[in-house]
Amino acid sequence: MWFYDKKLQYPVRIKRPNPKMAKFIISQYGGPDGELAASLRYLSQRFHMPTKETQAILNDIGTEELAHLEMVGTMVHQLTKGVPADVMEREGLGAYYTDHDNAVYPMSAAGTPFTAAYIQSKGDVIADLVEDMAAEQKARATYEHLIDLADDPDVKDPLRWLREREVVHFQRFGEALRMIQELKSSKKYY
Amino acid sequence: MDDRQKLLEQIMAYDFCLVDLGLFLDTHPSDANALKDYRMCFEESEKLRKEYEEKYGPLSLRHSPNPHCWQWIDSPWPWEKEV
Repeated sequence: MWFYDKKLQYPVRIKRPNPKMAKFIISQYGGPDGELAASLRYLSQRFHMPTKETQAILNDIGTEELAHLEMVGTMVHQLTKGVPADVMEREGLGAYYTDHDNAVYPMSAAGTPFTAAYIQSKGDVIADLVEDMAAEQKARATYEHLIDLADDPDVKDPLRWLREREVVHFQRFGEALRMIQELKSSKKYY
Repeated sequence: MDDRQKLLEQIMAYDFCLVDLGLFLDTHPSDANALKDYRMCFEESEKLRKEYEEKYGPLSLRHSPNPHCWQWIDSPWPWEKEV
């Protein structure tokens, strides 16, 4: 279980609203390589992990992804808070405003609502850890695209920090995968 | 940034170190340097957290409550710009 801490994992303080940027960033909230997909993937896969190290790494990275989901949702919220309907429409969020007002809703940048079809939980430790490593690389690439699209330092700073975390998670999953491969190759069969 | 925000950011920094060192220790459970750093960050975080909660109210839902008033709802939420 979890207890809530009344703080973000890393500060998000965006002074200038920018609905157009919010429309791109929302992909890391509920898009194919976003934080909701990441947290659900790892927190679902952890149940069938075969060793104490792999159970721990999936539990703990899955938990950190929930903190990232909160940061990305905070960015979308701060970028759209108080923005009137006509500005939302002019900046490409007319359709979004129709269904969601200035609320935060999990969807991709192109408007596809979040779906669990983005993730897999295969029950095979090699298949799942390799998927997790690919997922971290896809999220890293997405953050790089968002950094390319952003011009406000208040927006770029948390995006850069989130990108770094994907690199660290990839490293940890790689170590977990190597431990499993070593364990499997050391097993004796008669 | 006011004093409350400064103190909160110090706690955030130490707690981030706990998360990052925790992941490292998940795959390197007997690394003595990481264990030492984890302990140092934990002690600092606990100290600052105590100071924060005495001055500004609860930081975690798991806190020792004021007997007269549920203060949890009073302090700002972290997604608010002013935080």
